[in-house]
Amino acid sequence: MSVIVQLVVSGALMGMVYALIAYGFQLTYSTSKSINFGQGELVMLSAFVSLSLINTGLPYWLVVPGGLLFGVLLGLFVERAAVRLALEQKGEGWILLTVIFGLLGFSAAENIWGRDDRPFPTPVPSDPMHFFGIGITPLEISVAIGVLAVMGMVELFKRKTLLGKAFEAVSADRDAAGLMGVSATRIIMLSYGLSGLVAAMAGILVAPITTVGPTMASALILKAFSVAVVAGLDSGFGVVVVGLFLGALESLASFYIGSGWREAPGLILLIMALALRPNGVFGKASIRKV
Amino acid sequence: MLVVENLHAGYDASEVLDGVSLRVKQGSVVALIGANGAGKTTAMRAISGMLKPTQGRVLLDGQPVQELGSARIAKLGLAHAPEGRKVFGPLSVEDNLLLGAYSRLPAFFGFRGKAAADLARIYELFPRLRERSQQAAGTLSGGEQQMLAIGRALMANPKVMLLDEPSMGLAPVIVQEVFRIIKRLKQAGITLLLVEQFARSALEVADYVYVMEHGKIAVEGVPDEIRKNQRVLEAYLG
Repeated sequence: MSVIVQLVVSGALMGMVYALIAYGFQLTYSTSKSINFGQGELVMLSAFVSLSLINTGLPYWLVVPGGLLFGVLLGLFVERAAVRLALEQKGEGWILLTVIFGLLGFSAAENIWGRDDRPFPTPVPSDPMHFFGIGITPLEISVAIGVLAVMGMVELFKRKTLLGKAFEAVSADRDAAGLMGVSATRIIMLSYGLSGLVAAMAGILVAPITTVGPTMASALILKAFSVAVVAGLDSGFGVVVVGLFLGALESLASFYIGSGWREAPGLILLIMALALRPNGVFGKASIRKV
Repeated sequence: MLVVENLHAGYDASEVLDGVSLRVKQGSVVALIGANGAGKTTAMRAISGMLKPTQGRVLLDGQPVQELGSARIAKLGLAHAPEGRKVFGPLSVEDNLLLGAYSRLPAFFGFRGKAAADLARIYELFPRLRERSQQAAGTLSGGEQQMLAIGRALMANPKVMLLDEPSMGLAPVIVQEVFRIIKRLKQAGITLLLVEQFARSALEVADYVYVMEHGKIAVEGVPDEIRKNQRVLEAYLG
Protein backbone atom coordinates (compact mmCIF):
# COMPACT_ATOMS: atom_id res chain seq x y z
CA MET A 1 0.00 0.00 0.00
CA SER A 2 2.66 2.49 0.98
CA VAL A 3 4.42 1.69 -2.30
CA ILE A 4 1.38 2.86 -4.19
CA VAL A 5 1.12 6.01 -2.12
CA GLN A 6 4.80 6.69 -2.61
CA LEU A 7 4.47 6.25 -6.37
CA VAL A 8 1.41 8.49 -6.49
CA VAL A 9 3.06 11.26 -4.48
CA SER A 10 6.34 11.25 -6.38
CA GLY A 11 4.56 11.03 -9.70
CA ALA A 12 2.12 13.78 -8.81
CA LEU A 13 4.98 16.11 -7.89
CA MET A 14 6.47 15.54 -11.33
CA GLY A 15 3.00 16.19 -12.71
CA MET A 16 3.18 19.69 -11.25
CA VAL A 17 5.90 20.47 -13.79
CA TYR A 18 3.67 19.27 -16.63
CA ALA A 19 0.96 21.51 -15.23
CA LEU A 20 3.27 24.52 -15.20
CA ILE A 21 4.33 24.05 -18.82
CA ALA A 22 0.71 23.44 -19.81
CA TYR A 23 -0.19 26.68 -18.05
CA GLY A 24 2.33 28.42 -20.31
CA PHE A 25 0.44 27.06 -23.32
CA GLN A 26 -2.80 28.40 -21.92
CA LEU A 27 -1.40 31.89 -21.42
CA THR A 28 -0.71 32.45 -25.09
CA TYR A 29 -3.69 30.44 -26.30
CA SER A 30 -6.12 32.55 -24.30
CA THR A 31 -4.98 35.83 -25.83
CA SER A 32 -4.06 34.79 -29.36
CA LYS A 33 -5.39 31.27 -30.01
CA SER A 34 -1.82 30.34 -30.79
CA ILE A 35 0.80 28.36 -28.91
CA ASN A 36 4.55 27.99 -29.19
CA PHE A 37 5.33 24.50 -30.43
CA GLY A 38 8.94 25.19 -29.50
CA GLN A 39 8.02 25.66 -25.85
CA GLY A 40 10.05 22.58 -24.86
CA GLU A 41 13.18 24.14 -26.31
CA LEU A 42 12.37 27.30 -24.38
CA VAL A 43 12.33 25.20 -21.18
CA MET A 44 15.60 23.54 -22.14
CA LEU A 45 17.44 26.69 -23.26
CA SER A 46 16.43 28.50 -20.08
CA ALA A 47 17.78 25.59 -18.04
CA PHE A 48 21.05 25.68 -19.98
CA VAL A 49 21.42 29.41 -19.54
CA SER A 50 20.73 29.06 -15.82
CA LEU A 51 23.35 26.30 -15.64
CA SER A 52 25.85 28.56 -17.37
CA LEU A 53 25.03 31.30 -14.90
CA ILE A 54 25.69 28.89 -12.03
CA ASN A 55 29.02 27.96 -13.60
CA THR A 56 30.06 31.60 -13.67
CA GLY A 57 29.82 31.44 -9.89
CA LEU A 58 26.69 33.51 -9.56
CA PRO A 59 24.76 32.76 -6.36
CA TYR A 60 21.59 30.69 -6.79
CA TRP A 61 19.26 33.52 -5.77
CA LEU A 62 20.56 35.53 -8.73
CA VAL A 63 20.61 32.58 -11.13
CA VAL A 64 16.85 32.08 -10.84
CA PRO A 65 15.82 35.63 -11.83
CA GLY A 66 18.51 35.56 -14.52
CA GLY A 67 17.09 32.36 -15.99
CA LEU A 68 13.56 33.72 -15.77
CA LEU A 69 14.56 36.94 -17.51
CA PHE A 70 16.11 34.90 -20.30
CA GLY A 71 12.86 32.95 -20.62
CA VAL A 72 10.84 36.16 -20.89
CA LEU A 73 13.15 37.57 -23.57
CA LEU A 74 13.04 34.34 -25.54
CA GLY A 75 9.25 34.26 -25.27
CA LEU A 76 9.08 37.82 -26.60
CA PHE A 77 11.46 36.87 -29.40
CA VAL A 78 9.25 33.94 -30.43
CA GLU A 79 6.22 36.21 -30.54
CA ARG A 80 7.97 38.82 -32.63
CA ALA A 81 9.74 36.44 -34.98
CA ALA A 82 7.34 33.55 -35.39
CA VAL A 83 3.84 34.55 -34.32
CA ARG A 84 3.00 38.20 -34.90
CA LEU A 85 3.10 38.31 -38.69
CA ALA A 86 1.16 35.08 -39.01
CA LEU A 87 -1.55 36.38 -36.69
CA GLU A 88 -1.74 39.70 -38.51
CA GLN A 89 -2.39 37.79 -41.71
CA LYS A 90 -4.95 35.72 -39.83
CA GLY A 91 -3.06 32.63 -40.94
CA GLU A 92 -1.79 29.49 -39.27
CA GLY A 93 1.84 30.15 -40.19
CA TRP A 94 2.75 30.36 -36.51
CA ILE A 95 2.47 26.57 -36.25
CA LEU A 96 5.30 25.89 -38.66
CA LEU A 97 7.31 28.91 -37.55
CA THR A 98 7.26 27.95 -33.87
CA VAL A 99 8.19 24.37 -34.77
CA ILE A 100 11.14 25.78 -36.71
CA PHE A 101 12.06 27.96 -33.74
CA GLY A 102 12.13 24.80 -31.63
CA LEU A 103 14.40 23.01 -34.08
CA LEU A 104 16.75 25.99 -34.22
CA GLY A 105 16.80 26.15 -30.42
CA PHE A 106 17.64 22.46 -30.28
CA SER A 107 20.54 22.81 -32.74
CA ALA A 108 21.79 25.89 -30.94
CA ALA A 109 21.85 24.00 -27.64
CA GLU A 110 23.71 21.05 -29.17
CA ASN A 111 26.30 23.38 -30.69
CA ILE A 112 26.76 25.61 -27.69
CA TRP A 113 26.53 23.17 -24.80
CA GLY A 114 27.00 19.76 -26.46
CA ARG A 115 24.81 16.69 -26.48
CA ASP A 116 25.59 15.37 -23.03
CA ASP A 117 23.27 15.58 -20.12
CA ARG A 118 24.76 17.59 -17.29
CA PRO A 119 23.87 17.71 -13.62
CA PHE A 120 22.24 20.90 -12.39
CA PRO A 121 23.53 21.81 -8.93
CA THR A 122 20.98 23.12 -6.47
CA PRO A 123 21.20 24.28 -2.89
CA VAL A 124 18.04 22.31 -2.09
CA PRO A 125 18.93 18.91 -0.58
CA SER A 126 17.63 15.75 -2.23
CA ASP A 127 17.73 13.41 0.78
CA PRO A 128 14.20 12.19 1.35
CA MET A 129 12.32 13.21 4.45
CA HIS A 130 9.77 10.76 5.71
CA PHE A 131 6.16 11.56 6.41
CA PHE A 132 3.99 8.61 7.47
CA GLY A 133 6.38 6.22 5.75
CA ILE A 134 6.46 8.16 2.49
CA GLY A 135 9.73 9.64 1.37
CA ILE A 136 9.60 13.14 -0.14
CA THR A 137 12.73 15.07 -0.98
CA PRO A 138 12.98 18.79 -0.26
CA LEU A 139 13.80 19.08 -3.95
CA GLU A 140 10.40 17.70 -4.87
CA ILE A 141 8.76 20.03 -2.40
CA SER A 142 10.62 22.97 -3.89
CA VAL A 143 9.25 21.98 -7.30
CA ALA A 144 5.68 21.98 -6.00
CA ILE A 145 6.14 25.31 -4.20
CA GLY A 146 7.85 26.88 -7.20
CA VAL A 147 5.08 25.78 -9.55
CA LEU A 148 2.31 27.06 -7.32
CA ALA A 149 4.17 30.29 -6.57
CA VAL A 150 4.69 31.25 -10.19
CA MET A 151 1.16 30.26 -11.23
CA GLY A 152 -0.25 32.10 -8.25
CA MET A 153 1.70 35.22 -9.12
CA VAL A 154 0.54 35.22 -12.73
CA GLU A 155 -3.05 34.66 -11.62
CA LEU A 156 -2.78 37.50 -9.10
CA PHE A 157 -1.44 39.73 -11.84
CA LYS A 158 -4.37 38.82 -14.09
CA ARG A 159 -6.99 39.43 -11.44
CA LYS A 160 -5.63 42.34 -9.42
CA THR A 161 -4.00 44.69 -11.91
CA LEU A 162 -5.71 46.65 -14.65
CA LEU A 163 -3.19 45.33 -17.17
CA GLY A 164 -4.12 41.82 -16.07
CA LYS A 165 -7.79 42.60 -16.57
CA ALA A 166 -6.91 43.90 -20.03
CA PHE A 167 -5.28 40.52 -20.60
CA GLU A 168 -8.57 38.83 -19.72
CA ALA A 169 -10.46 41.32 -21.86
CA VAL A 170 -8.41 40.43 -24.93
CA SER A 171 -9.06 36.74 -24.21
CA ALA A 172 -12.79 37.40 -23.97
CA ASP A 173 -13.26 39.75 -26.92
CA ARG A 174 -10.35 41.13 -28.82
CA ASP A 175 -12.36 43.67 -30.85
CA ALA A 176 -14.11 45.09 -27.81
CA ALA A 177 -10.79 45.28 -25.95
CA GLY A 178 -9.45 47.43 -28.80
CA LEU A 179 -12.35 49.84 -28.28
CA MET A 180 -11.21 50.29 -24.66
CA GLY A 181 -7.78 51.36 -25.91
CA VAL A 182 -6.26 47.96 -25.14
CA SER A 183 -3.82 47.00 -27.88
CA ALA A 184 -4.24 43.28 -28.55
CA THR A 185 -0.79 43.16 -30.14
CA ARG A 186 0.79 44.39 -26.90
CA ILE A 187 -1.23 41.99 -24.79
CA ILE A 188 -0.30 39.03 -26.99
CA MET A 189 3.32 40.08 -26.68
CA LEU A 190 2.91 40.19 -22.92
CA SER A 191 1.32 36.73 -22.92
CA TYR A 192 4.30 35.31 -24.79
CA GLY A 193 6.63 36.97 -22.31
CA LEU A 194 4.73 35.46 -19.39
CA SER A 195 4.65 32.10 -21.13
CA GLY A 196 8.41 32.29 -21.50
CA LEU A 197 8.73 33.13 -17.81
CA VAL A 198 6.64 30.12 -16.89
CA ALA A 199 8.64 27.83 -19.20
CA ALA A 200 11.93 29.06 -17.75
CA MET A 201 10.63 28.45 -14.24
CA ALA A 202 9.70 24.91 -15.24
CA GLY A 203 13.18 24.38 -16.67
CA ILE A 204 14.92 25.65 -13.55
CA LEU A 205 12.70 23.60 -11.26
CA VAL A 206 12.96 20.34 -13.15
CA ALA A 207 16.63 20.54 -14.14
CA PRO A 208 18.05 19.19 -10.85
CA ILE A 209 15.80 16.12 -11.26
CA THR A 210 16.11 15.40 -14.98
CA THR A 211 19.60 16.86 -15.55
CA VAL A 212 20.17 19.35 -18.34
CA GLY A 213 20.57 18.29 -21.97
CA PRO A 214 19.17 19.20 -25.38
CA THR A 215 16.53 16.47 -25.13
CA MET A 216 15.57 17.13 -21.50
CA ALA A 217 12.22 18.66 -22.42
CA SER A 218 11.13 16.52 -25.35
CA ALA A 219 9.22 14.04 -23.19
CA LEU A 220 8.10 16.79 -20.79
CA ILE A 221 6.58 18.88 -23.52
CA LEU A 222 4.56 16.04 -24.97
CA LYS A 223 3.02 15.40 -21.58
CA ALA A 224 2.49 19.08 -20.88
CA PHE A 225 0.68 19.28 -24.18
CA SER A 226 -1.48 16.30 -23.21
CA VAL A 227 -2.26 18.00 -19.90
CA ALA A 228 -3.19 21.26 -21.62
CA VAL A 229 -5.49 19.53 -24.10
CA VAL A 230 -7.03 17.16 -21.55
CA ALA A 231 -7.68 19.99 -19.09
CA GLY A 232 -8.82 22.37 -21.80
CA LEU A 233 -6.73 25.19 -23.19
CA ASP A 234 -8.85 27.76 -21.35
CA SER A 235 -9.28 26.05 -18.00
CA GLY A 236 -6.91 27.93 -15.68
CA PHE A 237 -6.17 25.76 -12.68
CA GLY A 238 -7.64 22.68 -14.36
CA VAL A 239 -4.13 21.92 -15.58
CA VAL A 240 -2.97 21.38 -11.99
CA VAL A 241 -5.58 18.69 -11.40
CA VAL A 242 -4.84 16.94 -14.69
CA GLY A 243 -1.07 17.37 -14.20
CA LEU A 244 -1.20 15.74 -10.75
CA PHE A 245 -3.37 12.95 -12.12
CA LEU A 246 -1.18 12.24 -15.14
CA GLY A 247 2.02 12.37 -13.08
CA ALA A 248 0.64 9.85 -10.61
CA LEU A 249 -0.74 7.64 -13.35
CA GLU A 250 2.50 7.36 -15.29
CA SER A 251 4.50 6.74 -12.17
CA LEU A 252 2.18 3.81 -11.38
CA ALA A 253 2.31 2.59 -14.99
CA SER A 254 6.08 2.58 -15.14
CA PHE A 255 6.33 0.67 -11.85
CA TYR A 256 3.63 -1.93 -12.41
CA ILE A 257 3.68 -2.39 -16.18
CA GLY A 258 7.25 -1.52 -16.98
CA SER A 259 9.32 1.62 -17.33
CA GLY A 260 8.85 1.56 -21.11
CA TRP A 261 5.18 2.34 -20.53
CA ARG A 262 5.85 5.61 -18.75
CA GLU A 263 4.83 7.71 -21.74
CA ALA A 264 1.71 5.69 -22.51
CA PRO A 265 -0.84 7.17 -20.08
CA GLY A 266 -0.30 10.70 -21.33
CA LEU A 267 -0.84 9.70 -24.92
CA ILE A 268 -3.86 7.55 -24.09
CA LEU A 269 -5.37 10.42 -22.12
CA LEU A 270 -4.69 12.76 -25.02
CA ILE A 271 -6.40 10.49 -27.53
CA MET A 272 -9.36 9.92 -25.21
CA ALA A 273 -9.72 13.63 -24.57
CA LEU A 274 -9.61 14.51 -28.24
CA ALA A 275 -12.24 11.85 -28.97
CA LEU A 276 -14.56 12.44 -26.04
CA ARG A 277 -14.07 16.00 -24.79
CA PRO A 278 -12.28 18.10 -27.39
CA ASN A 279 -12.72 21.23 -25.29
CA GLY A 280 -11.09 19.59 -22.31
CA VAL A 281 -12.39 18.12 -19.09
CA PHE A 282 -12.42 21.54 -17.44
CA GLY A 283 -12.82 23.54 -20.62
CA LYS A 284 -15.86 25.52 -21.45
CA ALA A 285 -17.82 24.10 -24.31
CA SER A 286 -17.49 26.69 -27.03
CA ILE A 287 -20.99 27.96 -27.47
CA ARG A 288 -21.21 30.66 -30.04
CA LYS A 289 -23.96 33.17 -29.67
CA VAL A 290 -25.14 34.49 -32.98
CA MET B 1 -15.54 67.58 -33.02
CA LEU B 2 -15.99 64.51 -35.22
CA VAL B 3 -15.81 64.96 -38.99
CA VAL B 4 -16.10 62.11 -41.45
CA GLU B 5 -15.23 62.81 -45.07
CA ASN B 6 -15.93 60.56 -48.03
CA LEU B 7 -15.44 57.36 -46.04
CA HIS B 8 -15.16 54.10 -47.98
CA ALA B 9 -14.89 50.74 -46.27
CA GLY B 10 -16.00 47.16 -46.67
CA TYR B 11 -15.31 43.52 -45.99
CA ASP B 12 -12.95 41.66 -48.31
CA ALA B 13 -14.04 42.42 -51.85
CA SER B 14 -17.43 43.92 -51.15
CA GLU B 15 -17.57 47.62 -50.51
CA VAL B 16 -20.23 48.61 -48.00
CA LEU B 17 -19.51 52.30 -47.50
CA ASP B 18 -19.51 54.30 -50.68
CA GLY B 19 -18.36 57.71 -49.56
CA VAL B 20 -20.00 58.67 -46.28
CA SER B 21 -19.57 62.21 -44.98
CA LEU B 22 -21.00 63.52 -41.74
CA ARG B 23 -20.13 65.77 -38.85
CA VAL B 24 -20.95 65.72 -35.18
CA LYS B 25 -20.63 69.04 -33.38
CA GLN B 26 -19.50 69.27 -29.80
CA GLY B 27 -22.33 68.66 -27.37
CA SER B 28 -24.78 67.54 -30.04
CA VAL B 29 -26.61 64.28 -30.56
CA VAL B 30 -26.53 63.09 -34.15
CA ALA B 31 -28.63 60.17 -35.32
CA LEU B 32 -27.73 57.89 -38.20
CA ILE B 33 -30.77 56.01 -39.45
CA GLY B 34 -31.50 53.82 -42.42
CA ALA B 35 -32.63 50.38 -43.52
CA ASN B 36 -30.91 47.18 -42.50
CA GLY B 37 -27.80 46.68 -44.58
CA ALA B 38 -27.48 50.36 -45.47
CA GLY B 39 -24.06 50.39 -43.82
CA LYS B 40 -24.76 52.17 -40.53
CA THR B 41 -22.83 49.72 -38.37
CA THR B 42 -20.03 49.51 -40.92
CA ALA B 43 -19.78 53.29 -40.79
CA MET B 44 -19.47 53.17 -37.00
CA ARG B 45 -16.84 50.44 -37.20
CA ALA B 46 -14.85 52.36 -39.78
CA ILE B 47 -14.98 55.53 -37.66
CA SER B 48 -13.76 53.84 -34.48
CA GLY B 49 -11.04 51.90 -36.27
CA MET B 50 -12.46 48.40 -35.83
CA LEU B 51 -12.46 48.30 -39.59
CA LYS B 52 -9.81 50.07 -41.61
CA PRO B 53 -11.31 52.49 -44.14
CA THR B 54 -10.09 52.02 -47.69
CA GLN B 55 -10.53 55.69 -48.53
CA GLY B 56 -11.59 58.93 -46.88
CA ARG B 57 -10.82 60.68 -43.63
CA VAL B 58 -11.98 60.65 -40.04
CA LEU B 59 -11.08 63.77 -38.06
CA LEU B 60 -11.29 63.75 -34.30
CA ASP B 61 -10.80 67.26 -32.96
CA GLY B 62 -9.26 68.14 -36.31
CA GLN B 63 -6.75 65.30 -36.16
CA PRO B 64 -6.92 62.59 -38.85
CA VAL B 65 -7.27 59.22 -37.15
CA GLN B 66 -8.39 56.87 -39.93
CA GLU B 67 -5.03 55.07 -40.02
CA LEU B 68 -4.55 54.57 -36.31
CA GLY B 69 -6.53 51.46 -35.36
CA SER B 70 -9.14 51.14 -32.64
CA ALA B 71 -6.87 51.11 -29.57
CA ARG B 72 -5.15 54.39 -30.42
CA ILE B 73 -8.36 56.07 -31.54
CA ALA B 74 -9.91 55.10 -28.21
CA LYS B 75 -6.97 56.69 -26.39
CA LEU B 76 -7.61 59.92 -28.29
CA GLY B 77 -11.08 60.14 -26.80
CA LEU B 78 -13.51 58.26 -28.99
CA ALA B 79 -15.61 55.67 -27.19
CA HIS B 80 -17.66 53.15 -29.15
CA ALA B 81 -20.43 51.11 -27.55
CA PRO B 82 -20.64 48.56 -30.35
CA GLU B 83 -23.53 46.71 -31.89
CA GLY B 84 -24.25 43.55 -29.94
CA ARG B 85 -22.89 45.25 -26.79
CA LYS B 86 -19.73 43.11 -26.65
CA VAL B 87 -19.31 43.20 -22.89
CA PHE B 88 -16.50 41.06 -21.48
CA GLY B 89 -18.62 38.10 -20.39
CA PRO B 90 -16.28 36.31 -17.98
CA LEU B 91 -15.25 39.54 -16.23
CA SER B 92 -17.24 41.23 -13.49
CA VAL B 93 -19.43 44.24 -14.18
CA GLU B 94 -17.00 46.43 -12.26
CA ASP B 95 -14.00 45.13 -14.17
CA ASN B 96 -15.81 45.89 -17.41
CA LEU B 97 -16.34 49.45 -16.25
CA LEU B 98 -12.74 49.82 -15.10
CA LEU B 99 -11.55 48.64 -18.50
CA GLY B 100 -13.65 51.39 -20.04
CA ALA B 101 -11.23 53.84 -18.43
CA TYR B 102 -8.17 51.74 -19.31
CA SER B 103 -6.50 54.48 -21.37
CA ARG B 104 -6.32 56.94 -18.52
CA LEU B 105 -5.73 54.71 -15.48
CA PRO B 106 -2.45 53.34 -14.12
CA ALA B 107 -1.86 49.78 -15.35
CA PHE B 108 -0.80 48.17 -12.08
CA PHE B 109 -1.71 49.82 -8.80
CA GLY B 110 -3.97 52.58 -7.63
CA PHE B 111 -6.37 52.35 -10.58
CA ARG B 112 -9.34 51.67 -8.33
CA GLY B 113 -8.83 54.81 -6.32
CA LYS B 114 -8.40 56.91 -9.42
CA ALA B 115 -11.54 55.47 -11.01
CA ALA B 116 -13.69 55.66 -7.87
CA ALA B 117 -15.38 58.98 -8.66
CA ASP B 118 -16.23 58.00 -12.24
CA LEU B 119 -17.42 54.60 -11.10
CA ALA B 120 -19.73 56.26 -8.58
CA ARG B 121 -21.09 58.51 -11.31
CA ILE B 122 -21.85 55.51 -13.56
CA TYR B 123 -23.47 53.60 -10.70
CA GLU B 124 -25.64 56.61 -10.01
CA LEU B 125 -26.77 56.63 -13.63
CA PHE B 126 -27.27 52.84 -13.65
CA PRO B 127 -28.19 51.64 -10.15
CA ARG B 128 -28.68 48.12 -11.49
CA LEU B 129 -24.99 47.92 -12.34
CA ARG B 130 -24.07 48.77 -8.76
CA GLU B 131 -26.27 45.93 -7.50
CA ARG B 132 -24.55 43.55 -9.88
CA SER B 133 -21.05 45.00 -9.74
CA GLN B 134 -19.37 41.73 -8.77
CA GLN B 135 -21.40 39.52 -11.09
CA ALA B 136 -19.94 38.18 -14.34
CA ALA B 137 -21.11 40.47 -17.14
CA GLY B 138 -22.15 37.49 -19.25
CA THR B 139 -24.86 36.62 -16.74
CA LEU B 140 -26.65 39.97 -17.08
CA SER B 141 -29.86 40.39 -19.04
CA GLY B 142 -29.71 42.02 -22.47
CA GLY B 143 -30.90 45.36 -21.13
CA GLU B 144 -28.39 45.31 -18.30
CA GLN B 145 -25.63 44.43 -20.73
CA GLN B 146 -26.60 47.43 -22.82
CA MET B 147 -26.44 49.66 -19.74
CA LEU B 148 -23.02 48.19 -19.04
CA ALA B 149 -21.84 48.82 -22.60
CA ILE B 150 -22.96 52.45 -22.34
CA GLY B 151 -21.47 52.82 -18.86
CA ARG B 152 -18.21 51.29 -20.02
CA ALA B 153 -17.99 53.78 -22.89
CA LEU B 154 -18.78 56.67 -20.52
CA MET B 155 -15.99 55.58 -18.17
CA ALA B 156 -13.51 56.81 -20.77
CA ASN B 157 -14.83 60.38 -20.37
CA PRO B 158 -14.88 60.43 -24.15
CA LYS B 159 -14.88 63.47 -26.39
CA VAL B 160 -17.24 61.65 -28.73
CA MET B 161 -19.31 58.58 -28.07
CA LEU B 162 -20.62 56.21 -30.73
CA LEU B 163 -23.68 54.25 -29.72
CA ASP B 164 -24.66 51.50 -32.14
CA GLU B 165 -28.18 50.04 -31.99
CA PRO B 166 -28.61 50.32 -28.22
CA SER B 167 -32.19 49.06 -28.45
CA MET B 168 -31.41 45.94 -30.48
CA GLY B 169 -33.10 42.83 -29.18
CA LEU B 170 -34.57 44.51 -26.11
CA ALA B 171 -38.11 44.45 -24.75
CA PRO B 172 -40.14 47.66 -25.41
CA VAL B 173 -40.01 48.73 -21.76
CA ILE B 174 -36.23 48.42 -21.75
CA VAL B 175 -36.00 50.31 -25.05
CA GLN B 176 -37.83 53.23 -23.39
CA GLU B 177 -35.36 53.03 -20.52
CA VAL B 178 -32.45 53.14 -22.98
CA PHE B 179 -33.87 56.28 -24.60
CA ARG B 180 -34.32 57.90 -21.19
CA ILE B 181 -30.63 57.29 -20.62
CA ILE B 182 -29.74 58.78 -23.99
CA LYS B 183 -31.74 61.89 -23.11
CA ARG B 184 -29.84 62.17 -19.86
CA LEU B 185 -26.55 61.87 -21.69
CA LYS B 186 -27.69 64.62 -24.00
CA GLN B 187 -28.56 66.85 -21.05
CA ALA B 188 -25.13 66.14 -19.62
CA GLY B 189 -23.61 67.53 -22.82
CA ILE B 190 -22.17 64.27 -24.15
CA THR B 191 -21.31 64.42 -27.86
CA LEU B 192 -23.08 61.44 -29.35
CA LEU B 193 -23.40 59.67 -32.67
CA LEU B 194 -26.33 57.30 -32.46
CA VAL B 195 -27.28 54.49 -34.84
CA GLU B 196 -30.83 53.38 -34.26
CA GLN B 197 -33.44 51.20 -35.91
CA PHE B 198 -36.24 52.94 -34.03
CA ALA B 199 -36.06 55.99 -36.24
CA ARG B 200 -38.92 57.78 -34.50
CA SER B 201 -37.32 57.61 -31.08
CA ALA B 202 -33.98 58.57 -32.55
CA LEU B 203 -35.53 61.68 -34.14
CA GLU B 204 -36.88 62.72 -30.76
CA VAL B 205 -33.46 62.90 -29.13
CA ALA B 206 -31.35 63.98 -32.08
CA ASP B 207 -30.21 67.50 -32.96
CA TYR B 208 -29.35 66.46 -36.48
CA VAL B 209 -30.10 63.38 -38.57
CA TYR B 210 -28.39 61.54 -41.41
CA VAL B 211 -30.30 58.95 -43.40
CA MET B 212 -28.18 56.24 -45.02
CA GLU B 213 -29.05 54.30 -48.14
CA HIS B 214 -26.78 51.83 -49.93
CA GLY B 215 -23.62 52.99 -48.23
CA LYS B 216 -24.24 56.70 -48.78
CA ILE B 217 -25.92 59.55 -46.97
CA ALA B 218 -29.19 59.97 -48.86
CA VAL B 219 -30.85 62.70 -46.80
CA GLU B 220 -29.75 64.88 -43.94
CA GLY B 221 -31.28 67.62 -41.85
CA VAL B 222 -32.68 68.61 -38.51
CA PRO B 223 -35.36 66.21 -37.20
CA ASP B 224 -38.28 68.44 -38.27
CA GLU B 225 -37.09 68.48 -41.86
CA ILE B 226 -36.55 64.76 -41.86
CA ARG B 227 -40.03 64.15 -40.53
CA LYS B 228 -41.47 66.08 -43.44
CA ASN B 229 -39.35 64.36 -46.05
CA GLN B 230 -41.71 62.21 -48.07
CA ARG B 231 -39.13 59.59 -49.00
CA VAL B 232 -37.94 59.09 -45.45
CA LEU B 233 -41.47 59.09 -44.19
CA GLU B 234 -42.44 56.19 -46.42
CA ALA B 235 -39.30 54.18 -45.93
CA TYR B 236 -38.53 54.49 -42.22
CA LEU B 237 -41.22 56.25 -40.29
CA GLY B 238 -44.17 54.29 -41.68
